[in-house]
Amino acid sequence: MMHSAKLRKMTLLANFLAIAIVLNIIESAIPIIPVPGAKLGFANIVTLIILYVYSFKDSVIITLLRVLLVAILSGKLLGVTFYMSLSGAVFATLAMGFFKQLNYFGFVGVSTIGSVFHAIGQIAAGIFVIGSTAVIAYLPIMLFLSIPAGALTGIIAQRFYTIWRSWHNEIS
Amino acid sequence: MKAKLSVKSKRDILLVTLLFIILGGIYILFRLFAFQGEASIANVYYGTSNEPIVSIDFINYRVIANYDQDVPSSYNQVYPIIDESANTITLLGDYEIDGTRQIVVIQYNFGAKSVQIIQEQSPNNICSREGVSTGWPLICLPNRIRVEFETNGEDFTI
Repeated sequence: MMHSAKLRKMTLLANFLAIAIVLNIIESAIPIIPVPGAKLGFANIVTLIILYVYSFKDSVIITLLRVLLVAILSGKLLGVTFYMSLSGAVFATLAMGFFKQLNYFGFVGVSTIGSVFHAIGQIAAGIFVIGSTAVIAYLPIMLFLSIPAGALTGIIAQRFYTIWRSWHNEIS
Repeated sequence: MKAKLSVKSKRDILLVTLLFIILGGIYILFRLFAFQGEASIANVYYGTSNEPIVSIDFINYRVIANYDQDVPSSYNQVYPIIDESANTITLLGDYEIDGTRQIVVIQYNFGAKSVQIIQEQSPNNICSREGVSTGWPLICLPNRIRVEFETNGEDFTI
């Protein structure tokens, strides 16, 4: 029984990683956001789900693997977008982990905070990449767009979690 | 099925609404009041350097190349290329296609005191979509090239 639970977790995490990579690549192909190199962070759906389904540690590992694999797949490892993705992902994951632990907000709240930190993280990396605080000019629009993006991410993750819970209770 | 909202959901809605109003307000204020002065100089930078490679002087109608861009010798070309008839400045960006760095073309307009990135390679060509600017910094992160404006008179600093 223990063995099958472990196996199930591994399979699920592998699937989540694949989904996150696809989401990340699709997202970088859609120019919704007017800031070069920046993303809204829809791949954070996976980070958020793993955070609730499993643990903070698992979500950190999957998120870092996702950022690394997307960079390798797009052939631009250690490029500008890689640093921005990495910084945004780290900020978002830490913020979501903290606020989930705080247990004050629900999915949507945690996700929105994560999304706001994702924007801040990317801009912070942008400042380092270009050595100028001029990038901050893009912060207000990024922060503003991150709210609906974060809320939407949260709603989807919550929906998934509810379904997953009932499914999980059935099989175990 | 109208389920009663949990305490957490209420907090979530409150948080999202508050953030939306506050950050939306900041964005609108920023859009209205930041970078509004008339530009006197536009500086073009490459990489993390704070020394402008090219300065566009809107007062004296001059374009000054301060120094050559540090480009690997395999590119057989000295950058920046300044074309006074087409009003363009060409630099070598950081974005690579098949291992070759791509050029970034910046066009200036003395009359309108404006600058625009007209040609570059980046994901979705997002840098040239930033459009014409008379004060907002133009930043092309994938190419690590940026244009910042210096304004005289009433200056708005963040």
